Amino acid sequence: MTKPDEIMDLSQIDHGVFRSFPFLQDHCITCGICSSSCPVSGIDGFDPRKLVRLISLGMKDEAVDSRWPWICTMCGKCQYVCPMDIHIPDLVRAVRSMRERDKVPGILHKGLEAAIRTGNNLGLPKEDFIFILEDVGEEIAEEPGFEGFTVPIDKDGANILTTIHNKLVNTHTEDLKHWWKIFYAAGEDWTVPSDQWEGTNWGLFTGDDQAMKTMVGRIADHMDRLKVKNLLWPE
Amino acid sequence: MGSIINMQRKHAIVIGGGIAGLCAALELARFDIDVDLVEKGPALGGHARSLTCKATDRCVKCGACLVEERLQAVVENPNIKVHLGSEIMEVQDSGGFSVVISNEGKSTCSCEADAVIIASGFSLFRPDGKPYGYKRFANVLTNLDLERMIRMQGSVKRPSDQREPEKIAFIQCVGSRDAKTGHLWCSRICCGAALRMSRLIRSRQPQVTISVFYIDIQSSGRDFQFFLDGLRNDVRLIRAIPADVFRTEDDRLSMSYFDPTSRQSKDEIFDMIILSVGLCPGDDLKGLCSLFGMKLSDSGFVTVSDKTEYPEKHGVFAAGTVLGPMGIAESIASAGKAVWEAIRYLKI
Ligand SMILES: Cc1cc2nc3c(=O)[nH]c(=O)nc-3n(C[C@H](O)[C@H](O)[C@H](O)COP(=O)(O)OP(=O)(O)OC[C@H]3O[C@@H](n4cnc5c(N)ncnc54)[C@H](O)[C@@H]3O)c2cc1C
Ligand code: SF4
Ligand code: SF4
Ligand code: SF4
Ligand code: SF4
Repeated sequence: MTKPDEIMDLSQIDHGVFRSFPFLQDHCITCGICSSSCPVSGIDGFDPRKLVRLISLGMKDEAVDSRWPWICTMCGKCQYVCPMDIHIPDLVRAVRSMRERDKVPGILHKGLEAAIRTGNNLGLPKEDFIFILEDVGEEIAEEPGFEGFTVPIDKDGANILTTIHNKLVNTHTEDLKHWWKIFYAAGEDWTVPSDQWEGTNWGLFTGDDQAMKTMVGRIADHMDRLKVKNLLWPE
Repeated sequence: MGSIINMQRKHAIVIGGGIAGLCAALELARFDIDVDLVEKGPALGGHARSLTCKATDRCVKCGACLVEERLQAVVENPNIKVHLGSEIMEVQDSGGFSVVISNEGKSTCSCEADAVIIASGFSLFRPDGKPYGYKRFANVLTNLDLERMIRMQGSVKRPSDQREPEKIAFIQCVGSRDAKTGHLWCSRICCGAALRMSRLIRSRQPQVTISVFYIDIQSSGRDFQFFLDGLRNDVRLIRAIPADVFRTEDDRLSMSYFDPTSRQSKDEIFDMIILSVGLCPGDDLKGLCSLFGMKLSDSGFVTVSDKTEYPEKHGVFAAGTVLGPMGIAESIASAGKAVWEAIRYLKI
């Protein structure tokens, strides 16, 4: 990224390159309310107004190679306040999608790659996954009022299918219990798939539409296969 | 110029007694046209009547004092009949106009007119929905609230405790240049007004510091560069629109914004925040125009024909801010043009 006090290479400016972007970036009046609202403005020199200008000027290499699009959390606050309704998070995502995949920041890249390959961001084998679910299920069954609780894995014809966020079978297993107890108390007929259970879809963050489609397709397949009508997708 | 004799006395109605309506009425009267000036409010003068003189060591040509002179002349003019607290109720169009005017909903009178000038002005943007705490925090005011305060009491005080503020922030373009509110236009007067106001406050209360948060300064005029250069010592100009305002425990205002100089987000404390709200179409302009069978433009101001810059409706003319945001001098010029068109139409 060009430092503010460096001389910028103006030959980079090409108003044509992002013309096909449908995010209204050229409507920006540089009011700066997006930057005033953004929770990560100021980190590494990032603020959304600057990024929008970069795109509007067509400075493709600066935008794609810079860390800025990856600092954004895609929370959408900027778009909410933008007087010109510029689709800033979508724009950020589109710029991210223009990066070569192996240059996508490590954690996102590796997580998504693992998810495509193994069915979840952690690369957790099926046996380990089932073991964790059953272990947590047994802990619940020991609590008063939840006697006989079991985890209905791959249950045909259940009413609800739920996906799992990878952190729930990693560092946050306690958080699995809240939903499950509610299901139990409500007498709900629910199930969880034994593999390809990943609920997060990091193609959203890396700008990878194909990966997003694959991940969503897997969930749809589970619903067809198990003949489940309702999906609970908390991610 | 002496008055021109109007052989068969013609009759016109001017709707709205702001600067545009006052000037239109006076011009018409100069041609010996009888004028009924219909003003909805309890007094003549419109918005400009609330504005304060911004002269510091010299006149800054804001135009606010131009109203009083015209107002006096209208009241004294035998050709002009002023209807206060009055509105147009009914219009029949039969070549000329038969118009029913109601007076405070109590009595009505009818009159015949050969031409009508609509000069019912603008409404200010209501900033309640913006995240700046207007109406929730007593020390967040609009530009017009501030004008009124200074006009009444001569200096700025915090409405919550009547103490003199240490730090004031102006936020520009509130409700202007804003596609989400449907107001894409620049209101044209609020940059100049805020900067002149800042200078006035600094000259009377030099211990007060003023920051102006802006997009770009839209102001023109011959002396503007000179004015702006002088202003830089007086006022801190920050090129970013702030995001939120909160009240602190000690009843000050914390405002978050992105500071483009340090390239950091900041929460800064102010004692008062002034919202430079924009000029919008008048609240009842639509209803008024529909009485004459006229539609408004997409932006909500009076529609004008591309060729003439006047409404296409025969015999109806428009002056001042019903046509779009403009300042006092321009409203006066606009009234002159409208009357000129009306005179041609009436073949005087
Ligand atoms: C805070 C602020 C600061 C400003 N500062 C400056 C400045 O420094 N310099 C400058 O040149 N300009 C300034 N302006 C702009 C200035 O106020 C306008 O240019 C001017 O008032 C426009 O006059 P007008 O006659 O078109 O409208 P208005 O002033 O709005 O007058 C319209 C009149 O019509 C009446 N009316 C409305 N509806 C009806 C109806 N249906 N029937 C009958 N009567 C009706 C209203 O009661 C009002 O009296 C400022 C404006 C604001 C808000
Ligand atoms: S809020 Fe919208 S118009 Fe304003 S600077 Fe940001 S992108 Fe541009
Ligand atoms: S979406 Fe990104 S740029 Fe917009 S406010 Fe959130 S973090 Fe900032
Ligand atoms: S033009 Fe404005 S500054 Fe000058 S005397 Fe009149 S009101 Fe005061
Ligand atoms: S005059 Fe200034 S404050 Fe008013 S709308 Fe235009 S740019 Fe914004």
